[in-house]
Amino acid sequence: MNQEILRLPAEQLFQKEIDALIAAEKDPVPTGWKMSPRSVRTYICGGKVGRTSITPKYIGHERLVEIAIATLVTDRALLLIGEPGTAKSWLSEHLCAAINGDSTKVIQGTAGTTEEQLRYSWNYAMLLAQGPSEAAMLKSPVFTAMETGSIARLEEISRCASEVQDALISILSEKRISVPELNTEIAAKKGFSVIATANTRDKGVNEMSAALKRRFNIVVLPAPADLESEMEIVRTRVAQLSAGLDLNSALPEEETVEKVCTIFRELRCGETCDRSQKVKGTSGVLSTAEAISLLCNSMALAGSFGNGQISQADLAAALQGAIIKDEDKDAVAWKEYLEHVMKKRGSKWSGLYKACSELL
Amino acid sequence: MNLDHPHIFGVRHLSPAGAWHLKQFLSEKNPRLVLVEGPCDFDDTLQWFSNPEVTPPIAVLAYTKEAPVRTILYPFAEYSPEYQAVLWAHEHGKECRFMDLPSEVFLALPEHAPGGKAADNGEEERMNVYGLLDRQAGEDGHETFWERTMEHTGDTQAYHSGARIFGSELRALEEDSDEDRPEILVREAFMRRKIQEAVAEGFSPEDIVVVTGSYHVAGLLDEQAAMTDKELASLPRLEASHTLMPYSYYRLSTRAGYGAGNKAPAYYALLWEGIGKADLSYPARSYLSRIAGFQREHGNPVSSAQVIEAVQLSAALAKLRGSSGIPALRDLRDAAVTCLGGGSFSEITLAMADTEIGTLIGSLPDGVSRTSIQEDFYRKLKELKLEKYRDITQQELALDLRENRNVSTKAAAFLDLHRSFFLHRLRVLGVSFAKQETVKQDNATWAEHWSLRWTPEAEIELVEAALRGDTVAQAASFSMKERVEQAPNMGQAAQVIEDAFSCGMAQAAVYATAALQAMAVDAASVIELAAVSRSLSVILQYGDIRQLDSEPLKPILQQVFFRACLILPGECVCDDEAAKAMAEAIEQLNSAALAHDFLDAEAWNGALREVAERDDLNTKLSGYAMAIRLERGLADGEALRLEVQRRLSRGVPAQLGAGWFEGLAMKNRYALIARLSLWESLDEYLNGLDDEEFKRALIFLRRAFADFTSMEKDAIAENLGEIWGLNRQDVSEALNAQLNQVEEKELAESLGDFDFDF
Repeated sequence: MNQEILRLPAEQLFQKEIDALIAAEKDPVPTGWKMSPRSVRTYICGGKVGRTSITPKYIGHERLVEIAIATLVTDRALLLIGEPGTAKSWLSEHLCAAINGDSTKVIQGTAGTTEEQLRYSWNYAMLLAQGPSEAAMLKSPVFTAMETGSIARLEEISRCASEVQDALISILSEKRISVPELNTEIAAKKGFSVIATANTRDKGVNEMSAALKRRFNIVVLPAPADLESEMEIVRTRVAQLSAGLDLNSALPEEETVEKVCTIFRELRCGETCDRSQKVKGTSGVLSTAEAISLLCNSMALAGSFGNGQISQADLAAALQGAIIKDEDKDAVAWKEYLEHVMKKRGSKWSGLYKACSELL
Repeated sequence: MNLDHPHIFGVRHLSPAGAWHLKQFLSEKNPRLVLVEGPCDFDDTLQWFSNPEVTPPIAVLAYTKEAPVRTILYPFAEYSPEYQAVLWAHEHGKECRFMDLPSEVFLALPEHAPGGKAADNGEEERMNVYGLLDRQAGEDGHETFWERTMEHTGDTQAYHSGARIFGSELRALEEDSDEDRPEILVREAFMRRKIQEAVAEGFSPEDIVVVTGSYHVAGLLDEQAAMTDKELASLPRLEASHTLMPYSYYRLSTRAGYGAGNKAPAYYALLWEGIGKADLSYPARSYLSRIAGFQREHGNPVSSAQVIEAVQLSAALAKLRGSSGIPALRDLRDAAVTCLGGGSFSEITLAMADTEIGTLIGSLPDGVSRTSIQEDFYRKLKELKLEKYRDITQQELALDLRENRNVSTKAAAFLDLHRSFFLHRLRVLGVSFAKQETVKQDNATWAEHWSLRWTPEAEIELVEAALRGDTVAQAASFSMKERVEQAPNMGQAAQVIEDAFSCGMAQAAVYATAALQAMAVDAASVIELAAVSRSLSVILQYGDIRQLDSEPLKPILQQVFFRACLILPGECVCDDEAAKAMAEAIEQLNSAALAHDFLDAEAWNGALREVAERDDLNTKLSGYAMAIRLERGLADGEALRLEVQRRLSRGVPAQLGAGWFEGLAMKNRYALIARLSLWESLDEYLNGLDDEEFKRALIFLRRAFADFTSMEKDAIAENLGEIWGLNRQDVSEALNAQLNQVEEKELAESLGDFDFDF
């Protein structure tokens, strides 16, 4: 494995697990797939195969994973929708890694994505020299996926302009791309599908048309259901991330993870975890992904400038940075939260409370 | 099987596959006697099961005759195995009996089922066991497990033995933890006794089929002795009676709080239909198409293609779990959410409820049903001497709630009061027997007028109320509690308090008051607070006459009233549309302030004064506040004169000035009319306006005077006549006359280009 790469694709990171699952396969494998739907579920939700234990990649909501897998079995396209930071791309990458052993056929949608990037474009030098030929074609990931009968990923589909989204409609319903220049068309092999992801709550997104939505089975990924599963997600991901990043810092203590998750959850839901008190929410989303990066940041701070242990001051600074985005409202909400909720939580929280109030 | 044992078929209640396989089993064994689990004193109801006028779901309800009323309920849907067994026996001319403990014993057994009432239908609804089972069954619990393994079985023998294993595993699971064990042993001993009796009568064991919950199969095969006469005699008993009643799918579903019900009775009916058609994929198609149909009917387009995709997805989901590939309800729901609801559950919640639960209500021929609440109702009718009003023609009833001092007993002295309580309870329950009419005489807090009329609908409504409680009072209390819990705002919670007092139910009032207190902490608008103040104020005024202690309501009225005073001026910044409701709120608060001297009068006067004097509020409300101040003597003629000049001075936009006058004129007109100075000021104001301003003012003033009566206009004419030095008669004529055609045309022309939208 290449140690220089900042982030390896999922199928390389979890190569061993995938191999073990394929080796132990007992159930029928759909055409074009590397393993059976049940094995895909095991790969994503965790379990044990022979002596290899499979780490859970997506924690909580196992049923949603089942729906996603079943959708791909029926050769329908899958659309994962959710607020920022609810592991949409993460899930899509791992689904592809398990089903095809290849999660790299991806189009990263932006406002500048063109229809060509979705279908095919040309190597113009060759096109001018030789006229249209298959050799002069630049195939898009969707095109390649059709040819090979595998899954293409479309990230942030709602950021693409609506004409680009429209181009997808016929691809998904007819499952073929015509190439009029060569007077031919390419039909998708069995196993072809598309996994798209879209944000629900963000600026700069284009509303998806009903026609396009109709071509997808939509799975809405929620925020983690309870504190425990959120803590588990944060803990595993922080450990995985920091292992690759040389942060020179100890992993955050259980208590720190709990505090961060509690604060994030409470500000996100607008009430305290025991549901006894209402809390004013902030303008930011405060997703689980943000909690993960917050802890990694604190580890980097502690490793580079501190003693390698996350201190209350590090945490306070990181929290303030994450919670107060750009509006005064956030500062007010954070202050209220400190005074009404955190201050009253007793000695376990008093250190953090002091550190936070000093910063304000 | 031991020859001494009859054929025993274990079932689960409300199991379509069980009902189907049981029918096959019966046809195969062709027994002469069918014994069904259920209180043996219910045998008299069996004749009705096969009556063509009976449509399931129906239920047998047993209840104690004396308070505290306890009940047990045995519901039957068309796909109940027990129901089908009874039908089979009837069709084939075989004998059929119930074989469980008589209901009078059941009702006397100690009550320990969670949730109290009606949780015991003699089967397996012990929560702890099911909790354990849920964990063992994996996925989302035993319901799905049962559906996948049992309901989708096409093989009678497999169902028969599967149910038996399920039952004995269940027994093993709760061996050491079960508090109901003694009761179960007693019941099984009794059932063995009934079997022995049948054998003694001459039915040979192989001529008997026993239909029982799968749980009891092992118990009935047990070699232990049957119950002896002595043991039977020693069982506790309570005097009880029972009745057949129509039941509904809604009540079968657990939503109505019934333990051994079925979360999706209408979906199980689809399973039953599917079995009848020998088409196992029928329920899935039908379920998803129904959801789509419901969505279309309610304006959400769903295409057939989407339904097809949902069917496919549900099959794929089923393959991930079970081996049969037949989707269970869980798969169908998830497929429906994903394909028909665009991934969000909330979009198809209603469609789901409609498809899974449905609205089917069973029916019985007239006169068959007698529930405990009906008995209570008829008892009360007799007690309160209201029997003659139970008639199809409408009759009026006037009540005097005061104590009648001319009679000897207390019951007689307060007869009308108790009648009022009773009728109010019926009203709260939504039984359309009694309708309250408004009383014409003001302030007669002791008088109530009712019109009474008995209709078949009222009878149905009464039976429907049966499940909220066993007596009219209990049911009313339950329904009020429900309303408080669902109350979206304070106004409705206060309404419940008012109802509780009308019903003479102090307990419910206390409960609702606590809820109201909790809500009062949250922000609420003046309009809401005023409505609450009114409700509470009414109760406090009528409380005495109803012989109830309304003292606990005072603090909360004080709290709400004070709050309203504080936020009133701020909320008077509103448009004319909202001002109407605000004016009403001010009136309600004012009458509360007048009626109760424990309310903070100073805060109220301060608020009124602020509203009357501030210039930046809706002028109509300012005018209205001024009118109240005048009426209560808080402002004198001099203050009015100054205010009129200020409000109607030049430079103030005409609509504001006229709006203010409109507000002022909303109250206490005679006092206004009598003040000559007011009309002088108004006259002066109008004279000072230029043409354009006058047109604007005209519109508002016309509106302000629109609902003055011609008598009042006469009086105004007198004033104006005096000011202008004219004949009163002439002015009055001019004021009251309609425009003639020429004038109207002229006016229309001159107003043609006038912009009314400002």
